[in-house]
Amino acid sequence: METFINPKSLFHLLLLPCLLLYSSIAYNSSPVEAAMHTNNWAVLVCTSRFWFNYRHMANTLSLYRTVKRLGIPDERIILMLADDMACNTRNKYPAQVFNNENHRLNLYGDNVEVDYRGYEVTVENFLRVLTGRHETAVPRSKRLLSDEGSHILLYMTGHGGDEFLKFQDSEELQSHDLADAVKQMKEKHRFKELLIMVDTCQAATLFNQLQSPGVLAIGSSMKGENSYSHHLDSDVGVSVVDRFTYYTLAFFERLNIYDNASLSSLFSSYNPSLLMSTAYYRKDLYKRRLEEVPVTNFFGSVMETIHTDAAYKALSRRNSGRFEDEMSLDQSVHHIKRRMLIKVNDGDEIHDINPEGEEGASKCPWSTFRNKFQKAENVDSLLNYGLVAMIPLLVISTWLVQ
Amino acid sequence: MAETKEKSLSDEKPKPRVRPIVRLGIFLISHSFLVSIVCCTAGVLALFLLPVLAKNTYISENALMPGSASPMLSNQHVSDGNRLVKDLTNPNSKSSETGIESHKIIAQYMLDLGAEVSFHKFHPQMNQFHPLHFFSSPVSGKIQENYSCSSYGINTVGIIRAPRGDGKEAIVLVTPYNALKSGFGEALSLGIAYSVFSLLTQVTWLAKDIIWLVADSQYGEYAAVAAWLREYQTPKFSSLSTPNAEMCPDVNNLFELKGHSISGSKFSNSFRRAGTMAAALVLKVRDQNEQFEDTISIYAEASNGQMPNLDLINVVNYLAVHRQGLRVNVEKLWPLLNSSWLKSLGEIFESLAKVAKSLYPKWKFGIPATEYVEGTATLASSLYYQALGVPTGPHGAFRDYQVDAITLEISPKFSLDKVWRNDILLRGGRLIEGVIRSVNNLLEKFHQSFFLYLLTSPSKFVSVGVYMIAFALLIAPLPMVAASLYVDANSSSNCSKGDSSTPSAITDTDEHGIAIRSWSPTTSFMIWVLLSILSLLTLNSVLASPLACAKATQEKEWALVKSVTISSVFIGLGLMSVINFATAEIGALLMVPMCLLARPLKLDVRAGTLRSFCRLICNLVLGHIAFPPAAFFLLKGMLDGFGNANVGDFWMWVESLWAWNSATYLFIGMVQLPCWVLCVSILFHTC
Repeated sequence: METFINPKSLFHLLLLPCLLLYSSIAYNSSPVEAAMHTNNWAVLVCTSRFWFNYRHMANTLSLYRTVKRLGIPDERIILMLADDMACNTRNKYPAQVFNNENHRLNLYGDNVEVDYRGYEVTVENFLRVLTGRHETAVPRSKRLLSDEGSHILLYMTGHGGDEFLKFQDSEELQSHDLADAVKQMKEKHRFKELLIMVDTCQAATLFNQLQSPGVLAIGSSMKGENSYSHHLDSDVGVSVVDRFTYYTLAFFERLNIYDNASLSSLFSSYNPSLLMSTAYYRKDLYKRRLEEVPVTNFFGSVMETIHTDAAYKALSRRNSGRFEDEMSLDQSVHHIKRRMLIKVNDGDEIHDINPEGEEGASKCPWSTFRNKFQKAENVDSLLNYGLVAMIPLLVISTWLVQ
Repeated sequence: MAETKEKSLSDEKPKPRVRPIVRLGIFLISHSFLVSIVCCTAGVLALFLLPVLAKNTYISENALMPGSASPMLSNQHVSDGNRLVKDLTNPNSKSSETGIESHKIIAQYMLDLGAEVSFHKFHPQMNQFHPLHFFSSPVSGKIQENYSCSSYGINTVGIIRAPRGDGKEAIVLVTPYNALKSGFGEALSLGIAYSVFSLLTQVTWLAKDIIWLVADSQYGEYAAVAAWLREYQTPKFSSLSTPNAEMCPDVNNLFELKGHSISGSKFSNSFRRAGTMAAALVLKVRDQNEQFEDTISIYAEASNGQMPNLDLINVVNYLAVHRQGLRVNVEKLWPLLNSSWLKSLGEIFESLAKVAKSLYPKWKFGIPATEYVEGTATLASSLYYQALGVPTGPHGAFRDYQVDAITLEISPKFSLDKVWRNDILLRGGRLIEGVIRSVNNLLEKFHQSFFLYLLTSPSKFVSVGVYMIAFALLIAPLPMVAASLYVDANSSSNCSKGDSSTPSAITDTDEHGIAIRSWSPTTSFMIWVLLSILSLLTLNSVLASPLACAKATQEKEWALVKSVTISSVFIGLGLMSVINFATAEIGALLMVPMCLLARPLKLDVRAGTLRSFCRLICNLVLGHIAFPPAAFFLLKGMLDGFGNANVGDFWMWVESLWAWNSATYLFIGMVQLPCWVLCVSILFHTC
């Protein structure tokens, strides 16, 4: 009995739970600084009313169709349409919207879920959707429920000018408002990466105030330039699509969900002479190289597929993400801290995204030790190892006391 | 501190600082002679520069999108229209005395298309003068009691409801038609309207209802349209107020026949309405034509110089020129086209522009001399018809209800073969279809473009901001001259307080007193002149005796009278420019030089210098020209030749102004005539 009151043994006894506690903290709830891309959202906004702005609704619906085709489910698309062209009395084809004069594709088919329509599309509602500050009565389907692992595509079209975008012909969204909303989103961990795509006149000016990291922005025209419509449908009697969106869609029509076309190939596909304006993209806030980011990261919902040997033995797999490897090499600043427990929506597998190749490179012994702890298969086995390690300690300490 | 302040106060006291604007005013008044010469010359020059300054029209309203949809009117619709034309020109249809047969045919055709049809019977209403009702709709409450079954007209109205529309708005298509003596042109216009109408019953894109009014023009096109509009805009809610025309057997007959022939159809006896009117088109086809190509004339002037929104004219012009290949015309004063002085003026402007361009390549304001002459002729006619205040067609009735409307008159190059007829039906129909589709796209009333403008060609206009400059320059010297005259007269004496304003009141009463219609215009005019002179002289001797003041002040009395005259002219012109700019402009051209130059003839005779002699001549000439009847004859003689000028014409002209409620009538009576009388009294002042 006396032996156990010995201060040294007491120290050892106390040390063990502390270690265990630390390891569990490190394992489960370490502060999150960079999440893995886990889900995709799209906010598609058509801001203008009136029949003669038919093309803006067609633009937005075309983008809606594209992102849906590339895998973003309907519940992760917030579709805002400021007017209902399909049911406008002037529409020669009731309940149909076309983006091409060949009328091959009805964009307003059966599965279009419009979340905000008509006079609901206001600057206020738009900012509420982005920042997530809704009234309690707003249903979940109308909220942007993104998290720190979300890639968000924000597409806006309408009439704009120098640092503003007109909503509903009555109010306007200024570049400051947009930048502020994005900043709030960043603070609230509402996105990992955000692609803002704007098709208006002088679209580039809308990005002037953006400051938040992880934001990539592309606009249809530079300051002082107009964005033009692509062609007129003389049957319907209106212009049906804008040039920038038309060529964006032309790019995406060639792709399917398995394609690896990069964002840079999209951005370089815009021909100023065809657009009659200069597409401008701002990437100084965006860390990754555009050549290595597939467009499906934003316009689709393609996650990194991680190969596992066994259905539930998530820890004994090797990292299979070709693309994730490259990414982490780029971002070597973060490589020490990148570790976490992530739930992928599809299954309940536990992933560790920290690539093994980096372990050798790490100089800090403490982190190696910590990593070894994290390598342990689960808490039970850790406990077992701990207890086994306790036995020699116990033997030595009793021997020393005697 | 306090001391210095006091000091500064005491310093200021002896010479109070005059504010710059007051100093400027004093300067202008003291140099009023120079200012008036410069301003008047500049004003007249600016008026002649207007055709050069005219801008190209552009479609201001985004929603209109004219010509963006391809026309859907096909040969099928044209052959439908042709069928109606044949039926109407068929001699059998003209058997009935009242022309009811052709109305029945039209109604039957409309019913076959599935349109709602109703007849509207009306009695031609006498025009009544409503002073100060310039821009409001005519009083509808009073309906004349003396209906007789012999004189009534029947409008046939067909309405297509927009299949998915809300029924709040409508577009009106009017075709005047005289069933008793219809020419081929009228039948053709009905054919065009019918082919469009038959197309519109099939389309899915209508957002506004379409009303087709076949206006019975046997009592005048305007009267029929105005009667229908009056009924449309003022719904009667009690059954008692239905007109007595219902009693006439003939009319009832018509309705019964219709009711029996088509059971369960959309024919109704009651007056049918659609929504508020977005725009109205009056379609006419001229019977004879001397021109070598298909042209279309646009008439836009409504009462008191009101114009429809420029966008409506733009849409028609754009579609006619760029889609249907028709030539578009607006009214011109044809005699001006051959005037040599105008041509040389145009050449001067052209060469000036060339010089300016050589000096600085970016100055491009010159237009070719021929274009200038045409522009001036169009501008002059635009000014004249606006100044007249009498609508140039049935579209004027719509403007009284703030509905934008124009009359389109198609003048085809005539040949009677069928191919040609089909061609004009197709092109006219497609033009109307295009305009209707364009207006159908409209979301609000026409409001984007100009309402105040003068046309210098179908695709060029002078907006209010430009043409007001010419007018403002003309009348700007008036208050200065008045002030300087007053100051001069007052500095020598302060006795004479003018009795001079009385004559203006006198002439008013004179003119209103006589409205006797039974005499011939010439006699009426003569009687009016005699009575006016008589009453003027009587009243002048009683009220405005020049002996009322002391002898010494008489020298300056004329100056005071002139000052008052000029002020009243200024006020009158200023007010008139708000009501009807064109009247004010023409009035200013006539009166401003006369008022500014007026000076007792006696003084000039006494002086005997060359300068005073010139002034004397000028005064005499201007005194004649500014007299309204004289000005009228002069203008008429210049345009039509002096041979056919008749003394009675002026009386007729004034009577038509009266009948059409024109503000010009009031202007002549209350501003121009009194001021002319005052000027003449200055000329003959005894001093």
